[in-house]
Amino acid sequence: MTSASSVGPDARLTGTTVGPPHRPHALTRDDVLLEARAIVKEYGSTRALQGADLILRAGRIHALMGENGAGKSTLVQILVGAAAPTSGTIALQRSPVTFGGVSDAIAAGVVPIYQQSSLFPNLTVLENLFAFETAASHGVAGHQSVQRRRLAQQMLNRIGLAVPLDQPVASLSLGEKQLLEIARGLGRDCKLLVLDEPTAALSQADTNRLFAALRQLASAGVGILYISHKTDEIAQIADEITVLRDGVCVISGAPLKSTSMQAIVSAMVGHAFNVGEKNLPAVGSSVLTLVGASRRTGDPEVSITVHACEILGIAGLAGSGAEEIGAMLAGALACPHGALTVNGRPVGRMGDRAAAVAAGIGYVPADRSADGLFPGHDALRNASASILDHLTKFGLLSRSAESIRLTAALTDVSLLPNQPRRLIEEFSGGNQQKVLLARNLAVVDIKALVLVEPTRGVDVGARDIIHNRILKAAAEGLAIALISTDLEELTSLSHRIAIVRDHRLTAELPRLSSPADVASAMLGGRQ
Amino acid sequence: MKMERSSGSHSLRRLPVSIWGLVVIVVLVALFLPGFARIGNLTNVLRVGAILALASYGQTIVLICGGIDFSIGSSVALCSVVTALAVQQLPLGLALTVGFASIIIVGAINGLLIAYLKLSPFLVTLGMLLLVHGFAAIVAGGLPVEVPDREGIHTLSGGVFLGIPYPVIIAGLAAGALHLLLERTTLGRSWFLIGSSLPAAQATGIRLRRNTFLAYVLAAVFVGGAGLILTSRVAAGEPNLYPTLPFETMAACAVGGIPLTGGRGSALNAVIGVIVIAVLNNAIVLLNFPAYAQLALLGIIMVGAVIAQGVPSWTRSSRIRSL
Repeated sequence: MTSASSVGPDARLTGTTVGPPHRPHALTRDDVLLEARAIVKEYGSTRALQGADLILRAGRIHALMGENGAGKSTLVQILVGAAAPTSGTIALQRSPVTFGGVSDAIAAGVVPIYQQSSLFPNLTVLENLFAFETAASHGVAGHQSVQRRRLAQQMLNRIGLAVPLDQPVASLSLGEKQLLEIARGLGRDCKLLVLDEPTAALSQADTNRLFAALRQLASAGVGILYISHKTDEIAQIADEITVLRDGVCVISGAPLKSTSMQAIVSAMVGHAFNVGEKNLPAVGSSVLTLVGASRRTGDPEVSITVHACEILGIAGLAGSGAEEIGAMLAGALACPHGALTVNGRPVGRMGDRAAAVAAGIGYVPADRSADGLFPGHDALRNASASILDHLTKFGLLSRSAESIRLTAALTDVSLLPNQPRRLIEEFSGGNQQKVLLARNLAVVDIKALVLVEPTRGVDVGARDIIHNRILKAAAEGLAIALISTDLEELTSLSHRIAIVRDHRLTAELPRLSSPADVASAMLGGRQ
Repeated sequence: MKMERSSGSHSLRRLPVSIWGLVVIVVLVALFLPGFARIGNLTNVLRVGAILALASYGQTIVLICGGIDFSIGSSVALCSVVTALAVQQLPLGLALTVGFASIIIVGAINGLLIAYLKLSPFLVTLGMLLLVHGFAAIVAGGLPVEVPDREGIHTLSGGVFLGIPYPVIIAGLAAGALHLLLERTTLGRSWFLIGSSLPAAQATGIRLRRNTFLAYVLAAVFVGGAGLILTSRVAAGEPNLYPTLPFETMAACAVGGIPLTGGRGSALNAVIGVIVIAVLNNAIVLLNFPAYAQLALLGIIMVGAVIAQGVPSWTRSSRIRSL
């Protein structure tokens, strides 16, 4: 036992598990590495992907973009074997493959690098590079032979990472960790590297290092799939681009040189360029005011005011901080700095939604399933949640008051089917959204309404109903903040549109700005 | 009548089929096990069942909120020890009040740690189970504390009104109180919403911390009832009183159809589950099975009930969302 395990690890090392960092064999630049055709993925009745195609070539950096929920993650999961497609084919170097799991994909040379680090912080760089081989050897960790160290050094050189082999990983910078993770992934005869939002937590310097390493790898013939929603990064690093929207490829493997950033953003958010001219009510005096709010000390401070009868649009790409500004306006985000007032009166501590509701601020969060709905309860109970204290008689909850008051509220938003006793999960997404709207419109003495993506994943009919109800609420005097990535929705409903980039308000566009203007402002004026 | 379509019948309709299987077992036991249907035995089943019922009502509240309570087992033991010691100095009524208060204090500590420090209910109440057991043993000096017989301490568990034992009357009234609390108060409603979705409850402005804290305190009120009846029954301060109680309450709730994942449940669910567990416990005794067979059966029932509850439909839809 002892003798076997002492020779075990090194025997494996020189074997096939870790190849030396050789060039990927028999691959020349532009050869098709991986070809996914007509990929469909269904979850129950939901079609996350409806026939997506993706062709990845050796030595090319291919960007995959799309808004949240567009199907990016699903497609990546399928490519790396973490999920099985409902239908469609994947071919690796022209021979069809079916990955039973991530380990199959890695064995075939498709290596995913995730946002969350899978490094062992208490082990050294060297130990981390061979962590999986050590684990697979079922014995005492092998001694660090000269040969092994040489191999490790080659692995680091390949991506230009200069750190001492014996340094503990915990002391590396985030960027160095990311590179180390890539180096480890490459150790396994990697043909295609899949990077999911690799720069999400990186500083600019670390991002530059990562990009340099990626270019080096690409020139050595490795194919790279780069998932991100940061357009400026894509412009910097990618050769080709695929954009997904609603599970379909709206841009499919186009060369980046011939694709404008504007076209990419338009493809992602998917708007028809027509401003539906709605009649907006005249704006009144200021109602909802946020002053000097920031999520963390040192972050940019945001100040913003919404007036009575006004619909203030707030636009920003995913990750820009627009949704967080919405949460701040609703008093739903605890902030170390900043104050929220309604009609000049302070709303209490930031992050105390109970106080915000008492002050008359309604809030429809972006993710209705996670943050809005109460599964297992009917539409009526979902709608009454914000006004329970106003439904009591003699101290007891009055079911009749609840039923009368909220049945009316649900009818007012045209709930379909109009069955308040039906379980919330049995309604369509659009009707679930109507219930959330009704819940907030029912708030006693409501003065302001913060709506984040009120029509995301909602069918056209429900979308119109929701839009009309929002306009009616503004006409009734509410101050409304509308945070949306749906540019048509924003431009047709808003009195003015505030643009958010990097957690800052960078511009304000007037009524009847075109979606194209908004898109270019979201990108920071770059075309 | 239309109003009643809501939660009570609601959750009854969703009892898994297998639970009706267990109900059948209970009926079979009643019909065919010699000695079961004797008045003496039935009264005994009800007396013991009443204790489990009160403790299970507390567990019901906590489960609906999306939590779990292991500390029930040791807090009844603490109650017995505190009462037994207090009765040496104080009149019986006051001694029982002090014992009851000790359980409320345990519940309040649970509530503070879980609601205000946002610690995991599982770890907090498991920790309290051990801590309070240890504390009760230290206070008792390691041995059971005798209660002098003259104090009439047996009345609470042994008394009868119109032929019905006091514990059964108390458990019945408490079931009504629990029903009212869950179905007819804003606090009770908020527990369902908190257990169904914490982020959504926060977004709607429900006072999460206060209401979660109150859930553990009010759960302790019901457990306190169980503690007092149990103390009266054993007439002693026992640091190791009823160690399987938390698990029996969980089994009762699970069998009764209350999902251990939170957001649903009713007093009726708890009552049904308690009856099933109490009858099965009794059947084991009547069949002369060893005591550890009861533990094994409890485990089987619990796991079986959880399997039978199946994957709730909304966990499937939430998986879609995470993509």
